[in-house]
Amino acid sequence: MVKAYTQEHIYKHPWERVTSASWRKFADPENKRTLSHILEVDTLNRKLDPESGKLYTTRALTIHAPGPWFIRKIVGQDICHCVESTVVDARSRSMQLTTRNVSLQRFIEVEEKIRYEPHPDNPTGWTVCKQETSIRIKPLSTLASMAEKVEQRCAEKFMQNSVKGREVMERICKYLEAESGGIAL
Amino acid sequence: MGMGKREKKSSSNSLSTSPCANLRTAYHNCFNRWYSEKFVKGQWDKEECVAEWKKYRACLSEHLDDKHLSRFLEAEGSVDSVPLSDLRNPVDGAPTGVSQ
Repeated sequence: MVKAYTQEHIYKHPWERVTSASWRKFADPENKRTLSHILEVDTLNRKLDPESGKLYTTRALTIHAPGPWFIRKIVGQDICHCVESTVVDARSRSMQLTTRNVSLQRFIEVEEKIRYEPHPDNPTGWTVCKQETSIRIKPLSTLASMAEKVEQRCAEKFMQNSVKGREVMERICKYLEAESGGIAL
Repeated sequence: MGMGKREKKSSSNSLSTSPCANLRTAYHNCFNRWYSEKFVKGQWDKEECVAEWKKYRACLSEHLDDKHLSRFLEAEGSVDSVPLSDLRNPVDGAPTGVSQ
């Protein structure tokens, strides 16, 4: 049982600003209320390739994912750890983030891929974001009947959160725009 | 600059209980500045925020006891070589050592 979703969004901001916003998305205290399901974000690893202009980063996301009581009972926790690997290619201007859960894998596998690239119609002014999410509930026999429902709930939750994520991104872009306007000579 | 103000605010408002929260904020602030002011503008020849990163990372390796996550700390400098299969099927426990 796999469910997959794709979404696309166009930011009317340049790629440099949108990807800067992406790094700040979870860390900015202003957004903690909106993205309250994100409890912690830690950078575990980073590597810069000065030859190619590629930046590799691994971050840990601790996510609060409350479900119905019977899920908590089975799973035993409502905290989920995810690992996000990001590759930013400054030369070709692309950023790709891949996020997977590393805990609760016995029950569920979620993979989210986000790609930010300059919009082909306005490469210096706009950015296109493509997002692919796939959710797989492990077919445990005792869970099989309710797995479908869980999957649906999970998907709904993801969609809600990605809308919230977009709102936060737009807000940070505006803020960065104002900031760069103030500093510009 | 207002940067100092924001730093203070984020550490007091933070929900985080992590003992590394202040070092994390310092590193992330430095990183964000470097990313938007240098890296995306073509100045990618030099890694910055090295001191902040070392302090933060030392704290993490001391306090990160979740085995799912600490695997990624151990793999320092090889982010790009972590195979997808490894992300999917975490191996519990440390490697048993390389035989000669």
